[in-house]
Amino acid sequence: MAKYIIKRVLISIPVLIGVVFVIFFMLNVVPGDPVTLMMGEHIKPDLIEAFRERMGLDDPFIVQFFNYLKNALQGDFGMSYKLKREVSDLIFQAFPQTVKLTLSAAMVAWLIGIPSGIIAAVKQNTLIDRGFMTFSLMGVSMPVFWAGLLMQYVFAYKLGWLPVTGYKTWQSFIMPSIVLGWSSAGTIARLTRSNLLEIMKNDFIRTARAKGLRETTVVVGHALKNAMLPVVTMMAIQVSSLLGGAVMTESIFGIPGLGRVAVSAIGDRDMPLLQGTIIFTTMLIIAGNLIADLMYSVLDPRIRCE
Amino acid sequence: MKRKYLALLLALVMGLSVLSGCGSETASAEGNKDEKISYDNIMRLGEVTEVDTCDGQMTTEYYDIPFMIFDRLVEATSVAEGKSDIIPGLAKSWEISPDGMVYTFKLQEGVKFHNGKDFTAEDVKYTFERMLLPETGAKNQDFISPIKGSQAMMDGTAKELEGLEIVDDYTVKMTLEAPFGAFLASLATPGVGIYDKETTMEAGTDFGLVAEKTVGTGPYYFKSWVLNDEKIILKNENYWRGAPALDGISWKTVADADTMRMMFESGELDVFDCDYAPTQIGYFMSNEKYKDNTVVGNRVGIYYYTFNQNIEPFGDVRVRKALQMAIDRQSILDNLFDGRGEVLSGIMPPGLVGYNPNLPEIKYDLEAAKALLAEAGYPDGFEMTITQSTDSPDTLSRNEMVQAQLAKIGVKVTIEQVDEATWYAVRADGLLPMYTTSWSADFNDPDNFLYTFFAPGNTNKRSFNFKNEELSNRVVAARAITDNDARMAEYQALEKAIIQDEAAWIPLFCKQHIFITSDRLKGFKVSWNGWTSTWHYYEGLHIEN
Repeated sequence: MAKYIIKRVLISIPVLIGVVFVIFFMLNVVPGDPVTLMMGEHIKPDLIEAFRERMGLDDPFIVQFFNYLKNALQGDFGMSYKLKREVSDLIFQAFPQTVKLTLSAAMVAWLIGIPSGIIAAVKQNTLIDRGFMTFSLMGVSMPVFWAGLLMQYVFAYKLGWLPVTGYKTWQSFIMPSIVLGWSSAGTIARLTRSNLLEIMKNDFIRTARAKGLRETTVVVGHALKNAMLPVVTMMAIQVSSLLGGAVMTESIFGIPGLGRVAVSAIGDRDMPLLQGTIIFTTMLIIAGNLIADLMYSVLDPRIRCE
Repeated sequence: MKRKYLALLLALVMGLSVLSGCGSETASAEGNKDEKISYDNIMRLGEVTEVDTCDGQMTTEYYDIPFMIFDRLVEATSVAEGKSDIIPGLAKSWEISPDGMVYTFKLQEGVKFHNGKDFTAEDVKYTFERMLLPETGAKNQDFISPIKGSQAMMDGTAKELEGLEIVDDYTVKMTLEAPFGAFLASLATPGVGIYDKETTMEAGTDFGLVAEKTVGTGPYYFKSWVLNDEKIILKNENYWRGAPALDGISWKTVADADTMRMMFESGELDVFDCDYAPTQIGYFMSNEKYKDNTVVGNRVGIYYYTFNQNIEPFGDVRVRKALQMAIDRQSILDNLFDGRGEVLSGIMPPGLVGYNPNLPEIKYDLEAAKALLAEAGYPDGFEMTITQSTDSPDTLSRNEMVQAQLAKIGVKVTIEQVDEATWYAVRADGLLPMYTTSWSADFNDPDNFLYTFFAPGNTNKRSFNFKNEELSNRVVAARAITDNDARMAEYQALEKAIIQDEAAWIPLFCKQHIFITSDRLKGFKVSWNGWTSTWHYYEGLHIEN
C-alpha cells in the first residue's frame, strides 16, 4: 500500500511539471504586455524597461520557466503584478472560502444525489423515477451563473429569505452550495441509480429477498453497499469539478475565494497570480484523484494496488 | 471488512480535518477584520472590480479611499451645479508671487494623522519627494512635476526636491520651473494626498495595501480591506474640520452588475451607480419606488473620437470636418445612454473652469459632409479603420453606430479589436487609427484637457499627430499666463481653433452620472469633477434608519 502511494505521488511530479510548463507557455504566448497594462498610461518607457529587468521578463522563455519552477518548488509563486502582494499569500487567504464552498456543495450533491438515485432505482420506470431524473438532469444542464442569478432573484430579491451575496454567515452559503452542488448531484444520482439497478439483478439480492428480508434492508444493507463503490470514487473526482464550478459561483455570490482570484487575474493579465492559482488548483485535483484511486483500491479488494 | 471501515474512517478524518482547519483560519481572519462593525450608520457602496492599491500616488484609476482618508493641501469643492472652487485644505492660506513662480503655503496647525502624529511641513516635503523618486514607482508625478527640480528627481540624479523649501514647521515654499496657471488646481487632485512621513516609511511597500499601515489626516480612517470582498473606512472622530455624520463607508466588491443591482434592491447596498448598468437607468427612473431617490450630477468629462493625421485622408482638414458633421451625436447619446447628457462641440465640458457655452455648434449635416468629401477628392467616400480594445462592449456599440452613420456618406468603416495592452502600446507609438474613449478632469483646469491632447509630444502619444505647431506651442505657452482671465480667454480661443477650425477631434457628448440611493440615505450628492463618485465629506450626508 505504502509503495503504491509513493509510486502514485512520484508519478504526480512529472504531471505537475508538465502542467506548469503548459500553463507557463500558454500565458506567455497570449497577446498583451502585462507590464504596460500594470504600469498605466502615465508611466515613462524607461521605468517600464527597469521593471521588466527587475522582474526577469527580459530573459529567454526557458530561463524564465526554470526560474519560476525553482521558486515555485520553494513555495514562492512570485508577486502579483496588480495587487502587489505575494501570490502564495493571496492563494492561502482565498483558499478557505473555496474549501468551504466546495465541501458544502459536495454535501449538497451527496445529500441530494444519493437518495434520489436510490429512490429512482427502487421506483424504476415510474413517474417518481422520471421526476427525480429530470430534476438531476436539470442540475447537470443548467449553467451555474444562470441558476445562480435565478436563485438570487427568487430567494433573495423577491422573497427576501436569503442574502444576495456574502460568505460570513451560514445562510449566505445556502444558495451557492445548492447552485454548485446541484450539477454534481445529477451525476451522482444517475450513477447511483444505474449501479443500484445493476446490482439488484445479482443472485445475492435474490437470496436476500428469498430469506424474507424487508425490501429496505435488501436495498440499503445489501445492494447499496455494493453499488456505492464507484459512486464513492466519483464523489472524490467530483470535488475537482466543483473546484472548477466554484469560479463562476464565487463571482456571482461575492465569495472571495480562489475562483474570484483567478477571474480577476485573467482580467488584469496578472500572470504570476493566474499561474499560481492554476498550479495550486492542479495540485488539489491531482491530490483528489489520488485519494479517489486509493479509496477505490481499499474499498474494493478485487482491485489490486499494483 | 475491517479494511473497509478503516478506509471510511480515514476518509472521514481527512474530511473533518480539512473542514475544521479551514474553519479556524476563517474565523480568526474575520475576527480581527471586523470586530462586529454595525452597518446602521455606515454608507454601503459597491464596486465591480477589486482595486490594486489605496495609495493615491500609485494609481491613476482608483481614488475613492485615497480621497477620503487623506487630505490635500487644497481641495476642489462644488459650489454650485457644475461649478467648483479651490478651497483651503491642509494649507490654510497661500501666496503666489507676481511672476507666478513661487507659491508659499501656510499650513494648518494642530492637525493630527490618524495615529496621533502631528502634521507638519516635513510631511509635505516627504510626500512630494516620495512621489518623484523613481524607486517609488508612483504614477502621478505629472501633478507636481512643474516644481523646480522634479525632473532631476525623476531621473534619479537628485534625492531632494530643489524647488520645495521648508520655511518653518508650518510654512512651505514651492518654486516652479516655469509659471503654471493650473498648479493649485492640480494640487487638489486625489493623487496628491499628504502622507505621514514616519508611518509611511515604516510601512514600506505595505502602504496603501494594509489598512492599519495606511494613515492620513482625512475625515475617515482605513479600517479594513479583505481582498475581493470589502473595504471599510470609519469616521475620524478628531477630524480637524469636524467628524463626519456617517460612522463610515464600506465598498463591497461585487463582480457582477446584475448581482449588485439585486443587492441594492434587497437593501444590502445604499447606492447603485448606474454606470455599472446604463441600460437600467430607464427602469430606475420610471419606477415609483426609486424615482425620488435618483441623484443626477454632471460629470466633467467628454466622450470623443480621434483623428490620426498621419493616416490618409485625415491629413486633409476637409475630410476631418466632413466626419465631424456626419456623426449624429444626439442619436448616440439617446440610444446608448438614454439621452442623459449633453452634446458638445468643443473639448471643454460644462463644469470645467473656462467652459464656453457660446461655442458654435457643430451641426449634423450629411449634405454638407458629402460636399466637403467631394471637394477633398472623395466623392464616393473611402475606407478607414476604427480600433478598440477587445473587452469593451460599450465601445463596440458606439463604434457600430458610428460605422452605420458614416456609411451614409460612403465611408466604409472596419472595426478592429485588439487586446488592451496592444491598444495602449500602439497608441503610445502614435500609430493607432481612429478610436473613441472618454476623458474626465483630473483637476479643474482647461490645461488638463488641451495640454493632455494637443501639446507637442502628447499629441503623438495619443495618436492624434496634430500638425499645427503654432497652435500646439500656444497650448504650452498658455500654462504660463499669470492673468487668469487672459488664460481662460486663450484656452477658449485655442478650443475654437483646434477643435472647430482645425477639426482635430470629434467631440461627442458629456454624460451625466446617475446614482440611485436607498431610502435611509439622505443628502447624497454628486461631487464636482471627473471623480464624481468619490467625495463623501459634506454637510447633509447622513443615514436615517
